[in-house]
Formats: sequence, C-alpha cells, structure tokens
Amino acid sequence: MFTNRVTIVVGHFGSGTTEIALHVALRLAGTGVTVALVDLDVVKPYFRSRSARDFLTEKGVGVIAPEGELAHADLPIVMPAVRRALQDPAARVVLDVGGDPIGTRALGSVSDVIPVAETDHLLVLNFRRPYTETEDDAVVMARATEAAARIPLTGLISNTHLLGETTPEIVVEGYERAREVGSRLGLPVVAVGADEATRPLLDESTLGCLVLELTRLIRPPFEQSRFRPRVGPLFALN
Amino acid sequence: MAKKLMKGCEAIGEAAIHAGCKLFFGYPITPQNEIPEYMSHRLPQVGGTFVQAESEVAASNMLYGASGSGERVLTSSSSPGISLMMEAVSYLAGSELPVVIVNIMRAGPGLGGILPSQSDYFQATKGGGHGDYRLLVLAPWSVQEAADLVQDAFDLADFYRNPVMVLGDGLIGQMMEPVEFGAERVPCKLLAPKTWAATGCDGSRPTNIVNSLFLDPEVLEQHNIKLKAKYDRMVRDEVRFAEYFTDEPYDLLLVAYGTVARVCSTAIEDLREQGVKAGLIRPVSLFPFPYAAVRAAAAKAKAVLVVELSSGQMIEDVQLALRGAKPVYFKGRQGGMLISPDEVAESIREVLAGKAAEVVNG
Repeated sequence: MFTNRVTIVVGHFGSGTTEIALHVALRLAGTGVTVALVDLDVVKPYFRSRSARDFLTEKGVGVIAPEGELAHADLPIVMPAVRRALQDPAARVVLDVGGDPIGTRALGSVSDVIPVAETDHLLVLNFRRPYTETEDDAVVMARATEAAARIPLTGLISNTHLLGETTPEIVVEGYERAREVGSRLGLPVVAVGADEATRPLLDESTLGCLVLELTRLIRPPFEQSRFRPRVGPLFALN
Repeated sequence: MAKKLMKGCEAIGEAAIHAGCKLFFGYPITPQNEIPEYMSHRLPQVGGTFVQAESEVAASNMLYGASGSGERVLTSSSSPGISLMMEAVSYLAGSELPVVIVNIMRAGPGLGGILPSQSDYFQATKGGGHGDYRLLVLAPWSVQEAADLVQDAFDLADFYRNPVMVLGDGLIGQMMEPVEFGAERVPCKLLAPKTWAATGCDGSRPTNIVNSLFLDPEVLEQHNIKLKAKYDRMVRDEVRFAEYFTDEPYDLLLVAYGTVARVCSTAIEDLREQGVKAGLIRPVSLFPFPYAAVRAAAAKAKAVLVVELSSGQMIEDVQLALRGAKPVYFKGRQGGMLISPDEVAESIREVLAGKAAEVVNG
C-alpha cells in the first residue's frame, strides 16, 4: 500500500485527512516499517494528529510536530525536522496536511525537498462536506491544493462519509463521484475509505482500488469511556 | 436537503443564512474563524455582504447600524473578542436592536488559550456591558442544535427587539457532525413588520430614530421600566431545558450545559449499567435560567452536582433555584482542559459516597 517513500495526504478539513494519515502510518508501523508521521496541520486548532502523539509513539510511529505549549498553538510552524525527514533517503514519511488550499501552503514551503518521483500525493474527497459538494467544487479544490502545494497530485482517495450516519450507499455514491473527478483531472482513485459496516460490501478487484477500513480513531470527549481513553486535552482514541 | 458533515462553525454560518441573515460583521479569533470564513464564502452567493472589520469594536458598531436598518445581522467571536464588543452590546440592548451574537468560548482570563471553555457564563448571563440590560442566551450541545438555535435566535431577536447570544464552548465550533436543514423554515415566533427601522424617510411616516440616549431622567427611567417588562416576558416565555435519565429514580442530579452535558450523559449511562443512579438536567436557555425545572428535578435527588468547564459560574443560578434545599457539589476543568466521562463518573461516585466537599459560600 502506497509503496512510495513519501505519502502526502491533503484535503479539506473534515474529508478525513488526519484519520487516513494515522491509518496509513499505523498500518506501516504494524508491518515493522520505521515510519515518521509529520503533522503539517497549521489551519485547524483542534483535532490534529499531534494530539495522538503518545498513542502513535507507543505503536511505533514517530511524530514530527511542535511540542510543549506550541503543540496547542494555531501558528504556522514548519519544523526543521520536516525537511530533514523528507531529505533522508532511508526515511518512510507520512504527511498529514491540514485544511484547505490555504493550509496546504505549509506543504508548499517544503516542496523543494519533496522527492516527487518517490511520492504519493493524495487528495481526500468527501462530497458531504460544504466546500466539496459537487464534482466542480472538487476539481477546483484539487487544482487550488496542487497550486499551493507546488507539487502535482498523484491520486485521489474517496472518503465520502457522515461519521456515525454513513451508509454503504453514501460510500459508493461518493466513490463514483470521485471517479468522475479523477477522470476530469487525469488522476486515479487509489483508495476508498469505508467503515466496518461498509467494508465487506466493497470488492477491491471490482472497484480497481484499495479499500481502507477506517476505524475512527479521533472522537470527541463525550464518546471517551466507551473506548479506551487516551488523555489529551481534546482527544479520545480507541 | 441531504445531510452534510459540518463543523459547528460552518453549521452556525449556514443556519444564519437559512434564517435570512444577509450581513456579517466580525474579526477573526480562534476557535471560531470558520464562521467568518464560511460567511465570506457563502454570503456573496446569496446576495449578502461580509465585512471583516478592523476590530471587534468596529464590527459590533457595524451591527448596530445594520440592525437599525431592519436587516438580520450576525457577528461571531470568541471570549476576548466578545469582551471588546460589550460596549456596543449594551447600546444594542438600550436601542432595542435585534442582532445575533455567537460566542465560541475559549479559555481565559485575558488572552488565555485557544482551547475550549465555558468561563464566559457570567459575562453572557449577568451583564458584560453596562446598564440594566439582559441578553437571551442559548447554549447548544450538538452541531445540529447549534444550527437550530441560531435560526431561533434570529426570530427571538426580532420578536423581542433585543440581542440574542448563542453561547458554545470551543468544541461546539470545532467538532464535526452530520447536520440537516429543513426545506421550509417556520419562524419560532410570530413576527411583526419592523416599522421601527431606520430605512430612509420620504415624509410619509414619522421619522424613526435608533437611539439609547435619554437625557431626561424621568424618560430614561420609563425606558428602563419598559425594558424590564420585556426581560420579564423573556423569563416567562423563553425558558428552555432538557432532562435525561429522569424518568427512573435517581440519587444525584447533574446540571450541565453544552458539550459538557453530553460528557455527563455518557458518564451517567455507564454508571446506570453499574447500578449507580444519576439524572441530568441541561439548561438550553442560560438566560432565562430554568430555575423552576432545576428545583423540581432536584427535589427527587439527594444532592446536586454542577459540572462546567469553568471555576463554577453556573453554581450561583443552581443555588438560586434550590434555595438551599439540597447540597450542591461541583466538578470542573479549566484552562482549555476538557472533562472526560470517567472524571464525571468518579465525581458522581465521590458525592454519593459522601467523600466530596460541598460548595459553601462565604
């Protein structure tokens, strides 16, 4: 899965970029790969992958993100370690880029050291989000994101969902719309995200892409005790 | 309309547009920036106007002018920004202007931090600005309820000719949940035409003047008496609350609002499975506070536990409701730290086991 050395996950907040980046990093770590997760989210102040630092470290994922009090700041901090990781030919790196084309500017600032030939640069699409409700919106989002990133996209991840109210129909409809956007952009849909209930209904060979079974990791505090609590100021992780 | 996955801030913006709001004035501050961002994107699409003012002081006075012309107007900010608006809020109330103000609270005092809090309860419900005035204050606990209450807030503001505040903790602004907007919106109040608005006068009607200056003390007193009668009508007619786990017997009553009430609800549900019985009452209107409902619900419990993301500001209203009838306990977190269901469950156990310290005054 995503065999290139660098995996960059971009997309509007709410599309599922953080969940997918966490999923990819944890899956790699689970197969014994030494992987670093870069939290390049400079846009949204809450619900960032850095808040899961302890959990990720425990699972063998290195986390590159501001620490201490700066971890909670809404400041456009790009740490020197980000460039180091991208320039290290032996490092397997997953980048969680936050927000929208404006948030993607953080990625653009390190684009000079991104090994484009060894990089999967993937845009996550959720057609149930206000800013990407139509195929036209998604094309605009893709082009604007690419421009801000200063490197081309290599594929799309279809992740249309409504959190706990997602149905298989919503997932499949979103996948078909992502395919339409992909054909307009000349990009493949490389994966489709699905929850536990929808996963068995999807066949990778029919779809022609990976199916990522996404168990929601990041939950609001009122859902904590049902799952194994991880104490961060904002996060519950199961 | 199909359900969308929306951040609280986006849902608040869309709700305002759904309620016919065409004007937004504001200034950015975390954690509510997605409201102005959303409005700057959406208002031009519906023929509206978005203005990023040079400060919250300017934005709040732009509200005054725009509301005076009879339009539906919105501003939003977070705690320190709301403090800057307080002079204008008093003027808006004094001039009887309907506006909707959204406060997505962050931790204070001062600049504080950008993480969630409920420490503006006093400011919202007991004043903030000068003079005898009141705001209607509504506190949602979900993204859907935030969308619903913002729409109601516009109707209530117009009905009472008074500013209405929607008070959410930072999570309400930042978390995402599925939201639905009905196709046909029915106002929650029967609304009269705004014959008082300053819309430009061609001499065919008496001049409308929007004003809060009354130099004659007798006239100003009469104005205040009129306002007080209006606030009394709000107290009589606009109390909103919800109860949970109160159909079965309970030993302890929890009082919490906003997302904290959801945390309490999770804790109570978990404890029920273990035979520990607690109920929950959630004030939805913070002004007017549901005194009678809290008193009635507490009558069935041995004690009351208030849970807030503050040092315990709502305790005062709970004590007014109880009039000393039951002991009151408090559990809170501050500084942007959230409270977990486990912490609430632990507090419930401590109170019931007689190990917690009662809130004492003076």
